[in-house]
Amino acid sequence: MTDVIFIILCTIGSLATLVAAIGVLRMPDFYTRLSVTVKASTIGSGLLLVSAALYFSVPDVTNRAVAIVLFLILTAPVAAHMIGRAAYMGRTKLWKESQLDELEGMYDEDHHLRSEQPKKGEQEEDEKKADPQP
Amino acid sequence: MTLYYLLYFFALPVNCIAMILVFIRIYKGPTVFDRIVALDLLITMGIGSIAIYSIITKQPLFLDVAMILALIGFLSTVAFSYYLEKRKDND
Amino acid sequence: MTNQLFTNIMLTLIWVMLSGNTSIPNFGFGFALGFVILYLTVRGIDNRRYFYRVPRMIRFILRYIYEMLKANLQVARSILMRRMDVAPAIIKYPLEAKTDFEITMLSNIISLTPGTLVMDISDDKKVMYIHTLYYKDKDSFIKYIRLNLEIKLLEVIR
Repeated sequence: MTDVIFIILCTIGSLATLVAAIGVLRMPDFYTRLSVTVKASTIGSGLLLVSAALYFSVPDVTNRAVAIVLFLILTAPVAAHMIGRAAYMGRTKLWKESQLDELEGMYDEDHHLRSEQPKKGEQEEDEKKADPQP
Repeated sequence: MTLYYLLYFFALPVNCIAMILVFIRIYKGPTVFDRIVALDLLITMGIGSIAIYSIITKQPLFLDVAMILALIGFLSTVAFSYYLEKRKDND
Repeated sequence: MTNQLFTNIMLTLIWVMLSGNTSIPNFGFGFALGFVILYLTVRGIDNRRYFYRVPRMIRFILRYIYEMLKANLQVARSILMRRMDVAPAIIKYPLEAKTDFEITMLSNIISLTPGTLVMDISDDKKVMYIHTLYYKDKDSFIKYIRLNLEIKLLEVIR
């Protein structure tokens, strides 16, 4: 019984890793690559680690493997968020068939992110304040 | 016994092929961000193959290496992206 | 609430130390045992909230794993197809969650679901920009995230 679970986990884990690799090779632009890769690789490595934990089934090894899996699950979204943000600030292009980009023009000069587009009048007033000479 | 066959002839080769595909992306990658994402993926795959290898050789000590690798991968990605965000001239 | 969680964890640790077996299933069994003991001993309606919350949390985790597997299969299929049927978009999502902890949990959960990725959160913590792979229209996407993830999550941690 344990063997069957073990075989299933190993197979799915390896295939998820392979899917992540094919995805990073085939996807058209950076953001799609990012959003495919991070989760598939986390699931692949996580399943392989869980199968290692099941195989040894000694308490300290199991705890260590579960700790690694939890660490991966906690840190993968943070890393993806940071690299995606840096890429958007570095003006990486979206794919030409992208449907909608509501983030465009929302960053101001100091890399602060606004929640609304600034209205026309306010912006002109700000410019007048910053530049007193007409 | 079938277990070892599965690991030797299926799991490790599949991981190896996946790593080769990621290396192609590192070589091609149009921007530096693509390369960083591919490197992060490579480290995660390394953790997976360390897990397989520790099962094959029956050495649970290898899992310590996997833990350190996970830490280093996360820290390096965060450091890279922080540097690229704060850099003045984005090319 | 916090008090009861702490008592439950202490009971778990005592059980694990007394039985001398530090495996994961034994931790789970100790937690269940402590939960039953607390349920039998705590009096008063005001203190009952903890006992509704733990089963709800377990149900949320199971449901989330199911959603994740489903979305993963969809992404894997669209990677392996010859002509990829992806339509990426970045969508502005107005947040219901208020505190930092809630926003962190929500963005972690959204990012771990394949196909969606949190790009950034605005400085005043009102909106969140989400990159999605399967864009049909804006309202249905916002409704999907709100009904399936955010309301369920806020029920659990609030």
